[in-house]
Amino acid sequence: GDVAAAGSQGPVRGARSERPARESARAGGPQLIVIPTHKAPRGWARAEPAMAYHQGYGGQGSKHRGRGPLVPPAPDPHQLFDDTSAGFPHAQGTPGSGIDMGFNTLLADPMANVAVAYGSSIASQGKDIVHKEIHRFMSVNRLKYFFAVDTAYVTKKLALLLFPYAHQNWEVRYSRDTPLTPRQDINAPDLYIPSMAFITYILLAGIALGLQQRFSPEVLGMCASTAFVWVVIEVLALLLSLYLVTVQSDLTAFDLLAYSGYKYVGMILAVLGGLLFGSDGYYVALAWTSCALMYFLARSLRMKLHPSLVPDGMGHPRGAGRGQTYVTLGAAACQPLIVYWLTFHLVR
Amino acid sequence: MAFTLYALLQAALLFVNAIAVLHEERFLRNVGWGTEQGIGGFGEEPGIKAQLMNLIRSVRTVMRGKMKSTV
Repeated sequence: GDVAAAGSQGPVRGARSERPARESARAGGPQLIVIPTHKAPRGWARAEPAMAYHQGYGGQGSKHRGRGPLVPPAPDPHQLFDDTSAGFPHAQGTPGSGIDMGFNTLLADPMANVAVAYGSSIASQGKDIVHKEIHRFMSVNRLKYFFAVDTAYVTKKLALLLFPYAHQNWEVRYSRDTPLTPRQDINAPDLYIPSMAFITYILLAGIALGLQQRFSPEVLGMCASTAFVWVVIEVLALLLSLYLVTVQSDLTAFDLLAYSGYKYVGMILAVLGGLLFGSDGYYVALAWTSCALMYFLARSLRMKLHPSLVPDGMGHPRGAGRGQTYVTLGAAACQPLIVYWLTFHLVR
Repeated sequence: MAFTLYALLQAALLFVNAIAVLHEERFLRNVGWGTEQGIGGFGEEPGIKAQLMNLIRSVRTVMRGKMKSTV
């Protein structure tokens, strides 16, 4: 490859050229891409990139590139700086230059090849170990189910969260004993909306506090952890109460996390109402989203917990059904309290 | 109320510890929450009190770990 003829703007080829491109982009200098010459003999490849460097940029380039073994001391009219590394064949300088100096030699040195292969095998082993450890705590497949959403589902679900009174069929449909993914069934819980709403809520809280001159970066972290902790507390309380009333349902912890996380959408709307329309707007939005959330949660949980609607058709004594009703109503009633608690300090 | 995750951890730990120190013989039997007389019926529906007693007993067993205690 002829580097001198490649000029200043050329396509990027090879890994070595990425570093000078990045450096130039970082330094804000003229966009210059260097094409490495893989075919050139090892030692001589060092000096050639220096030729292609632009005027105002030659200093950094030649300092960066000039270090290397066997640099030819031939004088070059385009080189602004003297290449002083001829007498320092082992000068390592910055780690960056050391790395990319070694990179080109890697391809030719079989020992280094072995080292690279060994290193990559160790890395993959480490990755397997990490996967196994994570799999001990939670099933990644189960988690993937909750994030299998698409845009149509998200829009319909958001509309459902804010106006659930018109929805008729609340059952989560199954296909051969596994619940359908959120893409196919609007009643299925998902974790995408809660997590996105959580992040949006944090940002909105930052904006609200900033508008009241009460903002500082620590407040953001405190707000985030407070909101998260309240949801965790609610999920734990729900798990405990479901255990106590001995309900037989397939509600896992992630399902409950999803249902509890839907309140973030209500919180966002309440804070928005408070920001746009003042205190009255806040209370109106709070009332509306609380009612919608309570209705949504009551219908969803009742559908999931009520034994007589389970497809197996197993009969169940009346007493446990009463406990389940209490749990459902209690969970629904807690929602507006938590929403109010987490948002009222933002819209004073 | 501003909660941090660490506060949650502390609260959970103290709560579980409180459950773990409820002594079976000295206290729970006097109140009527001993597990020997509670798990009588093997009917379909244990009831909330029996579930709670079971929960207390299992928390105690787990938290006491490798000690050879029968309670």
